[in-house]
Amino acid sequence: MYPVWEVPGLTAGLVLGLIAAFHMLPSHLSVGAMWLNVYLESRAERENRPELLDFVRKYSRLLLIFSYVFGSLSGVGIWFAATLAAPRAISGLIHNYVWGWATEWVFFIVEVVGIFVYVYSFDKVDRKTHIRIGWIFALGSWTTMVVIVGILTFMLTPGLWPQTGGFFDGFFNRTYWPQLFLRTGSMLVIAAAYATVIAARVYDAKVRSTVARAASVFGLGGLALGAACFFWYRASLPAHAVEIVEMLVKPGLRQGMIGSTVLLALYFGWLIVKPASARFWPALASILVLFAGIWSFERSRELIRKPWVIPNYMYSNQIIGADLPAKGVRSEIPAINERGILKTAPFVPKNLREVNDENRLQAGRMVALLECAACHSLQQGGVRSLARIAREKELDADMMEGLLYSLDQMPYMPPFAGTDPERRALAEFVAALSKGELR
Amino acid sequence: MTTHAMLQALADPMGVPFYPRVFQTLGVLTFSIHILCVNLAIGALVLSIYGRYWGDDFWKGLSGSLAKACTAAVSGAILFGVAPLLFMQVLYDPFWYASNMLSGAWVLGFVGVVTAAYGILYLRVSRDCGASGVVSAALFLVAGAIMHALNAQMLAPEKWTDWAVKDGAPSVSGLALHAFEPLRFAHFIVPAVAAAGVFLMLYAWYFSPREDFDKTVLARAARAGASLAFWATAVQALGGVLWLVTLPSEFRFHMNPAFVVAALLGFGLLGYFWRIRGKEDPAASAPGAAAALFIVTLAMAASRETLRGLYLGKWGYTLAAHQVHLDIGSTALFFATFVLGVSVAAWLLAVAFQAGRVPGRWTPGPRMQAWGKASIGILAAWLVVVVALGIFITFKNHGA
Repeated sequence: MYPVWEVPGLTAGLVLGLIAAFHMLPSHLSVGAMWLNVYLESRAERENRPELLDFVRKYSRLLLIFSYVFGSLSGVGIWFAATLAAPRAISGLIHNYVWGWATEWVFFIVEVVGIFVYVYSFDKVDRKTHIRIGWIFALGSWTTMVVIVGILTFMLTPGLWPQTGGFFDGFFNRTYWPQLFLRTGSMLVIAAAYATVIAARVYDAKVRSTVARAASVFGLGGLALGAACFFWYRASLPAHAVEIVEMLVKPGLRQGMIGSTVLLALYFGWLIVKPASARFWPALASILVLFAGIWSFERSRELIRKPWVIPNYMYSNQIIGADLPAKGVRSEIPAINERGILKTAPFVPKNLREVNDENRLQAGRMVALLECAACHSLQQGGVRSLARIAREKELDADMMEGLLYSLDQMPYMPPFAGTDPERRALAEFVAALSKGELR
Repeated sequence: MTTHAMLQALADPMGVPFYPRVFQTLGVLTFSIHILCVNLAIGALVLSIYGRYWGDDFWKGLSGSLAKACTAAVSGAILFGVAPLLFMQVLYDPFWYASNMLSGAWVLGFVGVVTAAYGILYLRVSRDCGASGVVSAALFLVAGAIMHALNAQMLAPEKWTDWAVKDGAPSVSGLALHAFEPLRFAHFIVPAVAAAGVFLMLYAWYFSPREDFDKTVLARAARAGASLAFWATAVQALGGVLWLVTLPSEFRFHMNPAFVVAALLGFGLLGYFWRIRGKEDPAASAPGAAAALFIVTLAMAASRETLRGLYLGKWGYTLAAHQVHLDIGSTALFFATFVLGVSVAAWLLAVAFQAGRVPGRWTPGPRMQAWGKASIGILAAWLVVVVALGIFITFKNHGA
């Protein structure tokens, strides 16, 4: 176990969630935008409508700046935030999927070189060559999605990996295909929404109409594909995940997904009928609606992984909870139960390694930092605050201790790992915290 | 718990999917390109600021081009920063993660600082490298300092448990940076000027066939570039010697073959720049100068990797200790993709290179067109093969 970085109230996990949800916008824009661009650029060439290139040029610049300045850095941000939220989990993923990420990185090279050359060669190469550059970017960019979805879906449904430890056995798992096409639909929706923002800024009314209609057809098509694949994805979820959906995914998140889909469908539908009515502020609002939908989906996707961070291997508190014979790894739970978490984790202050009457609350806080802080705030309030949960359920130390004994009965909670004195110390710490006796 | 035991407890138990030396080689190679891009970005930005505020007409005229070079170099730095970061986490996971967790706020701050610096660069500096250029440069230096500190912390595992505790309680704010070596940091930053100098030479060489470019400006850019490259490398050499003195004597690093080779090449580069500097037309030597700079950077990166091995070896941490669970399929996927992807990226770069060398619009010849078509074919073929593999595995493992 590594040292803990605590984000008071929020948890490091939520910081990761915020960065990851934001990253969806530039990353999916990157993957989707060029399909619309090559379509419009080809149409401009075919129909001899050079005025359409005004939009293509502006949209490409948005792609360059938003996706390859803010997007590439928010991508790096996800890595750093994931490290801080769960270093052992990201380590486990990297030690399995290093070649997957490295493969994605090769296509990232194609993307970055591609977008620079596409933007800066707009008036420097003949149109046919320029469209070819666009095609290379579009294909290379979608390929990054083909790769990363394998790793993302592995974190929920690891396929036969727990038995074989094989790269492809985890990569091509039962939710891979539905999520690949669900995200492909999302990329079209995101690209379309941003295109309407840029279209609204185009002065020529005819161009604005052409682009708004074309983008809306892309967007509506993406929504239809995404919605269909969502049900396919839902049907592919393991029974445990479905149970968690029912228990943990709150109505607000469901409404966020459904509401944003309906609103975007209405928006795109309206623009197909009345493309000349494309305006900046409604277009910008569509991005906010989109973000609400993405946030709802991504939060739900995170929740249904519980109690695991890597299914059937590592719990959300980063304790290895199952054997992985293919890699020679044993569950850490028996050893921690025998020795204690405070003696096992290297970065515990010496004075807290043994629980006694003098240090009980401090030791309890240390146990909470190690086993609970990844998901629960240790403040009075905040994300899944332990203090608030204890207050709401009116739990005293004895009842809390009982609850800790039965954690493994809750389908979304990892079991408590540690000795009896450590469990008692944690229970007393949470009880004291809930009564406001601790800061 | 001893430091050795702690490192063993922290190391990922899953092992690695291929031989560690391969990851190490890829890490050194990609880091070399990354640090060259970092150097070019900072050097070009500093020269751009100089041109904007203090330069004569020549420097003022170059200020915009230097700022644009900086934006492209930052993209390159991010692109080639991802790969060594990935490979470092495969080989040095306990060190990197512990260092990050001890300074969590700074780690996240790094992302914010680079985003702000890059955003300012794109939105403001590329139009006018004024005060915003200074802010951007300062932020990039802060980002570099954070990354340097994180790397320095990695090398001192014996101090981690002290850093993780404050007044008998766990220190969880991540607000402190615990290690910083000014000479080592300077050793990474000073070459920025040399990289910018070589860029100026390349600039002059690249645009020399263009009739619409002022030949006297290009000639002066080449001379200024050669001069900057020489003097910056001289300062770098001096700084390198000073830094060498600060290293733990038990390493005897001055006798280490990796260091000796890198140092000899470094002094060779200094001599080479001296020769170019005295030439009538330094621009003609620009491709050679760029290649020489890359080779020396690569040697320096290999030397740095060797030094890291000495630091970590003190605690019994060696690459050989990694358990290898060979995964031939995913390894083949990467290397095949690498070869194919590089050929596609090379076409894009070749188009950009040739298009920029002529005024007006450029139309590729039949061979370039065939290469372009083949690039699309390569990407399509890659997708077909991977999708077919995926469908096969899906049916094999999960049925219909």
